[in-house]
Amino acid sequence: MAGRLLLRACTTTLRLRSNAVARPLHRAMATEGIPTDEEQATGLERRVLMAFKEGKDPYSILKPKYYPGTKEDPQLVPCIGGKRLVGCLCEEDNTAIVWFWVHEGGSHRCPSCGTYYKAVPHEVPH
Amino acid sequence: MAHHSHPYHMVDPSPWPLTGAIAALLMTSGLAVWFHFHSTSLMLLGTILLTLTVIQWWRDIVREGTFQGHHTPPVQKGLRYGMILFITSEVLFFLGFFWAFYHSSLAPTPELGGNWPPAGITPLDPFEVPLLNTAVLLASGVTVTWAHHAIMEGKRKQAIHALALTILLGAYFTFLQAMEYNEAPFTIADGVYGCTFFVATGFHGLHVLIGSTFLAICLARQISHHFTSEHHFGFEAAAWYWHFVDVVWLFLYISIYWWGS
Repeated sequence: MAGRLLLRACTTTLRLRSNAVARPLHRAMATEGIPTDEEQATGLERRVLMAFKEGKDPYSILKPKYYPGTKEDPQLVPCIGGKRLVGCLCEEDNTAIVWFWVHEGGSHRCPSCGTYYKAVPHEVPH
Repeated sequence: MAHHSHPYHMVDPSPWPLTGAIAALLMTSGLAVWFHFHSTSLMLLGTILLTLTVIQWWRDIVREGTFQGHHTPPVQKGLRYGMILFITSEVLFFLGFFWAFYHSSLAPTPELGGNWPPAGITPLDPFEVPLLNTAVLLASGVTVTWAHHAIMEGKRKQAIHALALTILLGAYFTFLQAMEYNEAPFTIADGVYGCTFFVATGFHGLHVLIGSTFLAICLARQISHHFTSEHHFGFEAAAWYWHFVDVVWLFLYISIYWWGS
């Protein structure tokens, strides 16, 4: 439950950050002796937390954003290393997935339904 | 620390699954040896190995989550699914014993005198110690919820007190039930009544002990500042398990103690 709240808090933070709206913390710092994640989280958990606070998602935790997939507004495909495999479900409930590579630089179209995909560099977490 | 672009935990190689499997083998074969050859050594060895395994395995999980930060939100979600599935399997486990009880008690055979309770059995008065036990467990459900809210609100002392009270109530239940077992006018060997009674309540008692242990570990961790006000899934898992133990008791009380008397 707290985990789900955290995830929801992360998505809320991301959304709000992009709207540049100031918002008070849900809870003040350790008031009576129990630390907060802000104070005590460490390792990967902390990196995830700090990235969410800056409106970033380097570990691909949130659902990818869906774009119209037109030439002007292609589906963005975050990738590391210049290319990524894409599996296109041309229509909902299709059972045959159309697989193809998408390379950085220029748009690619699904050979079956023609949706435009564009590879964008994904920030590599350290 | 390996660098990867996913939020999941690729665990390091560990010997505990193997030692756990060996312990399970020794305990089960040891049980058979006990039945046939009157020696408990193999079973005892298996139990010791199991105890050592669970201590070290769960100690490693605490290290990975709390000290190394591997329990990101998606990892925590997986742990939640795991605990829920485990508790569900335990529900089904108890369902079997309730099935056995109702099978025998809804249509009592002529050997029992066509009655339930069977002829010659004096059941325990459901409005004496069993009712007190019900109150004790329900109260412990309240205190564990109190402890949870205290943790979420950052109140350390209250969390410790409420958790300790929960464990105390659990111990009180165990003590009362032990007294009842000692003074009961029937035994496990007293036909299907004794069998269904003691197997069902006995397994419940085992789960009370397991749940109390889980809560005690949480108390130690809370005192050691492991939990944060947002991230304390170990405690939540213990609380879920404790509520499950409470609910099983309620079904036991209604079915076996009350309706079955």
